[in-house]
Amino acid sequence: MKIEVFAVLKDYFKKEFEIADKLDTIADLKQYLITLNPSSVEVLSRCRFAVADDFVVDNYKITGDDNIMIIPPSSGG
Amino acid sequence: MKYITEEPIDLVGMLQEAHHPAAGAIVLFSGEVRDHNGGKSVAYLEYESQITMASKMIALILKEAKSRWNLTIATAQHRIGKVKVCESAVVVITASPHRTEAYASNRYIIDRIKHEVPIWKCEYFSDGTKEWGGNCNCQKETGDPNKHIYESADQ
Repeated sequence: MKIEVFAVLKDYFKKEFEIADKLDTIADLKQYLITLNPSSVEVLSRCRFAVADDFVVDNYKITGDDNIMIIPPSSGG
Repeated sequence: MKYITEEPIDLVGMLQEAHHPAAGAIVLFSGEVRDHNGGKSVAYLEYESQITMASKMIALILKEAKSRWNLTIATAQHRIGKVKVCESAVVVITASPHRTEAYASNRYIIDRIKHEVPIWKCEYFSDGTKEWGGNCNCQKETGDPNKHIYESADQ
C-alpha cells in the first residue's frame, strides 16, 4: 500500500512512502505507524484516513493496491 | 469555478460575478492573514490542501447551502501556498433575495470549510519559528473527528 501524509504529519513521516507488510485495517495501519514513530501517537489519534478521495473508518479493510491518505484536522480559513 | 487556487484571490472580480437581478443582498466574507497570533508576530502563512478532496467537499457544501437557504449564488475559493499579511486566504460569497439568508448561509459555509475541508495552514512567525495550525480541535469535545462545533448557531 502507498501512504501519503499532509501538513503537520510531514514532521513525523515522509510525504509519500510504501508499506510492504500486510495490514488488515486502518486501525492496524495506525498502530503500525505509531510503532514506526511513537511520537506521532497524539497527532495520529486526531487524523482521518481516506482512500480514493473518500474518508474511511477504522475497520476499513485495506487492499494491497490502496493509496491511503492521512488527513490531519483541518485548519483552513 | 476553481475552489482551490495558488493565485491571489480576485475579490473584486468574484464580487462582480455575484451580481444577480434576483439578489437584493450579497455577502462577501474574506478570511485574511493577520500579523499576530497567540501573542506572536506573524510573518506569513503557508496553506496546503488535498486538492481533489477539498474541491469536491467545497462544491458539496455550497450545493447544500444553496438549497437550504434558497440562495441565488453561493461560491467560495481558498488559496494555497504562501499568503502574506493583509492578503485574502479564503473568500465566501452568498447572494439571496434578502440579507438574512445571505448572512446565515455565508457563516455556515465558512464554518464548514474551516472545520471539515482538508486544507491546512502553517504559521511562520517573525522570530523564525513555525507552527502548523489546528483550528479544528472539536473532537476533544465531541470525541469524533467527524463531529464539529460551529460558531454559527443554527447548524
